[in-house]
Amino acid sequence: MSAGAKFRSFALPAISASLLKNGLKIYAVQRPQLPLVSIHLVLPYGAEADPPRKAGLAHLCAEMLTLGTQQHSASQLAREIDGLGAILSAHSGWNSTSWHIFGQSEDFERLMSLLLEIYTQPAFSPEEFEQLKQRRIATLVQQKDESGILADERFQEILFQGTPYDHPVYGTLRSIPQIFWEETGEFHRQRFLPAGSFLVIVGDLPAEACFHWVEANFPAMSQDRRFNSGEFCVSLPAEVRTYLFDRPDLTQSQIRLGHIGMAHAHPDYLPFEVMNYVLGAGGFSSRLMQKIRSELGYTYGIRGLLEPRKQAGPFTISTFTHTETTFPCVREILSVIQSFLAQGATEKERQEAINFLTGSYPMKFESLSQVAQRIMQAELHGLGLEFLSAYPERVSAITLDEMGRSAREHIHPQKVTIVVVGRTERFHREFEQLGPVELME
Amino acid sequence: MEHRLANGLHILVGEVHSLPILSFQVHFATGSRYEGPGITGITHLFEHMMFKGTKELGPEEFSRIIQANGGTLNAFTTTDNTSYFENLPADKLELAVSLEADRLENLRLTQETLEPEREVVRSERKLRSVNNPFGLLIEQLFALAYEQHPYRWPVIGWDHDLRNLTLNDCREYYRLHYSPNNAVVVVVGDVTADEVFKTVEKYYGHIPSQPFPRLTIPLEKPQRGEKRAVFKKVSQVSAFFAAFHIPGITHPDLFPLQTLCAALSGGRSSRFFEKFEKPGKAVEVRAEMGSPPFFSMDPGLLQIYAIASPSLSLDTLEKEIWEEVEKLRQQPLSQEESLKVKKQVRSYFIQGLQTLFFKGMLAGLYQVRAGDFRLLYSILSSYEALSADDLLRVAQKYLRPDNRTVVTLMPVSQKEHEDLGELE
Repeated sequence: MSAGAKFRSFALPAISASLLKNGLKIYAVQRPQLPLVSIHLVLPYGAEADPPRKAGLAHLCAEMLTLGTQQHSASQLAREIDGLGAILSAHSGWNSTSWHIFGQSEDFERLMSLLLEIYTQPAFSPEEFEQLKQRRIATLVQQKDESGILADERFQEILFQGTPYDHPVYGTLRSIPQIFWEETGEFHRQRFLPAGSFLVIVGDLPAEACFHWVEANFPAMSQDRRFNSGEFCVSLPAEVRTYLFDRPDLTQSQIRLGHIGMAHAHPDYLPFEVMNYVLGAGGFSSRLMQKIRSELGYTYGIRGLLEPRKQAGPFTISTFTHTETTFPCVREILSVIQSFLAQGATEKERQEAINFLTGSYPMKFESLSQVAQRIMQAELHGLGLEFLSAYPERVSAITLDEMGRSAREHIHPQKVTIVVVGRTERFHREFEQLGPVELME
Repeated sequence: MEHRLANGLHILVGEVHSLPILSFQVHFATGSRYEGPGITGITHLFEHMMFKGTKELGPEEFSRIIQANGGTLNAFTTTDNTSYFENLPADKLELAVSLEADRLENLRLTQETLEPEREVVRSERKLRSVNNPFGLLIEQLFALAYEQHPYRWPVIGWDHDLRNLTLNDCREYYRLHYSPNNAVVVVVGDVTADEVFKTVEKYYGHIPSQPFPRLTIPLEKPQRGEKRAVFKKVSQVSAFFAAFHIPGITHPDLFPLQTLCAALSGGRSSRFFEKFEKPGKAVEVRAEMGSPPFFSMDPGLLQIYAIASPSLSLDTLEKEIWEEVEKLRQQPLSQEESLKVKKQVRSYFIQGLQTLFFKGMLAGLYQVRAGDFRLLYSILSSYEALSADDLLRVAQKYLRPDNRTVVTLMPVSQKEHEDLGELE
């Protein structure tokens, strides 16, 4: 199968896809401009699969696979990868776990052999696990100094409480000490190449060569192993709720404001994307940036983002501002949202949003990893490859009515959760005007 | 391909036809190295003001028009250059050229747009420096390592100066530094050199050149002994940031020095990872000095920093790190390690070449910082030609304790933090 579409003289790179006899789905894209290759092995589950009180298990397990095989110790493996001038990394998102090798295309077979070895013969050394765990704990301790990360974590924990999305993918200082070596090996064995796993290879190689090598060498898929995180539904709070985290050493507050949005595959996702370019995602073209940064000078940056996930992800407005403008900043954000909901976007704004999203679309296929990421997202979220080729025309067809409806149905300023990390004694009282305020540790 | 207009504007074009897009870049040979005490940060604040409108366009309309034509854009200021760029569909070349030429010629600077932008920049300073766990530490490192050279103040400027910069300061800065003969235009993408030269001539050709300002940048004298300082603030961790003086962008020693950085902290087989991060002695230990084309114009700094883990005191960690660095000065790398690190730096460079933006940066920054974009063609061969003896020689020459400046972060209680005064 081959997908390709032309839009404003841009043709999507030819994506070859094949379902191999061993059951594995593989996507290959030939890009001959540079002698490089980007290889991604993707499993269709991520931190959503972490068991209760084991936040970070999927992430630790993914990382363990890069720390030695039955043939190569962790140090030997690292020397081999670095010696090829390659980069090996493990990633665990909400809905996927993946291993990425980026290297030179002349080393393709060696890189693939290493990926195969890493996946099929991991050492799961207890010493490596203990060291990894201690490294993770030390990183999490240091991360407590990062006010932006703190705000992101607390916001998502509060929003998704009691759901599979209620913890950071890399775990917490409470959960990581409670994860033990035996659990990582077991977690891996239970989820070895489950249904829905796939490979993406982009680089200076013919697709047929990729298919041939994988067919001949990769193990069969485990069709009986399936992962389903289960649907969850969280009702929005009845009022605006504010959570203040005290960091008296800060001179600037970190602010997160929003609520749960919708899944990537939701039919309203595209109208929302076009609408949100006007409200919060369109840089200097967005209403929020115009008001909060350009007119008022409250912040260096503000952005509204609906995170694409398999199940409903967060819609978050993120910014930061001087301690003394913390409450005025939040008040103005709410005012911008309310006025946008009342008036809607203009036809000029709609056209500008569409021009940006379609005109800049080819730039999302510039590097090998970008091409791979586009394919991975379409596959993981059940959008299909045709989504990639149809995107520009589908975006172009979004009407003002659809944008207005998506805003009214999916943005609820009366029910937002607000998280602020900063010098709380300076603005605590002001937030009580909006609804209940909780001071947090 | 290159061309120079009569008014001195330098144009570089790279034809790359793999996608129907282009990267349009204007690099001005002005950075914080051209500032003086009292007006630190003006280069960067002025970069923000370049988006605040012209005789014809309102504030931020520049950005809005570029995005509405399918483009992305931004700008950045460094010690040595200020660069503006637009990445666009290939048929929008003329739009980018006309808008950039317009703001070079017709910028509108008003008190009404300066005041909120001053606060925006102060917010950016808090984000990057004041409230960043290590931002102020790095500022102190540069302030201590340099005594005379302008690299001693941060690109974003001191807060006191940001509060006091005036509209007249901005106007004067615009007049002195923003002229066609102080800029390089770079276009990389699905274009032809001929159409680029004609379009740039059409919109820039009439803009007069300006005499260069007479500036004397003091050279930093060689350091004669280690310098140290302590910085106290609320922190979960202790850490140190150290710096060694190294040469500027045109010096061939930068390639072996960058390769030594890869030996120390490039990948999981590196010496620092194996010895300190893997066994949990440190959260992070890195050796960094940038990579082409981001080497500094004047003699710069090779930085080594370490964030301690609770299991080891910072003093012990620092002592062990200097022992590890000393090994590089005593023993050449084995042939295997030498081959490995050479392949790593070469491979990382090739990986960067995937985007038009990076290709444009290479040409533009080598032209502005080194005076000749052609130097980029010898980067790969410079890595190839390195021997273990080259690496040993530069380790001995630059990684000396006498050439070292160290600032340590000492965590303190909230009470002590407050007693030390307000951060800004």
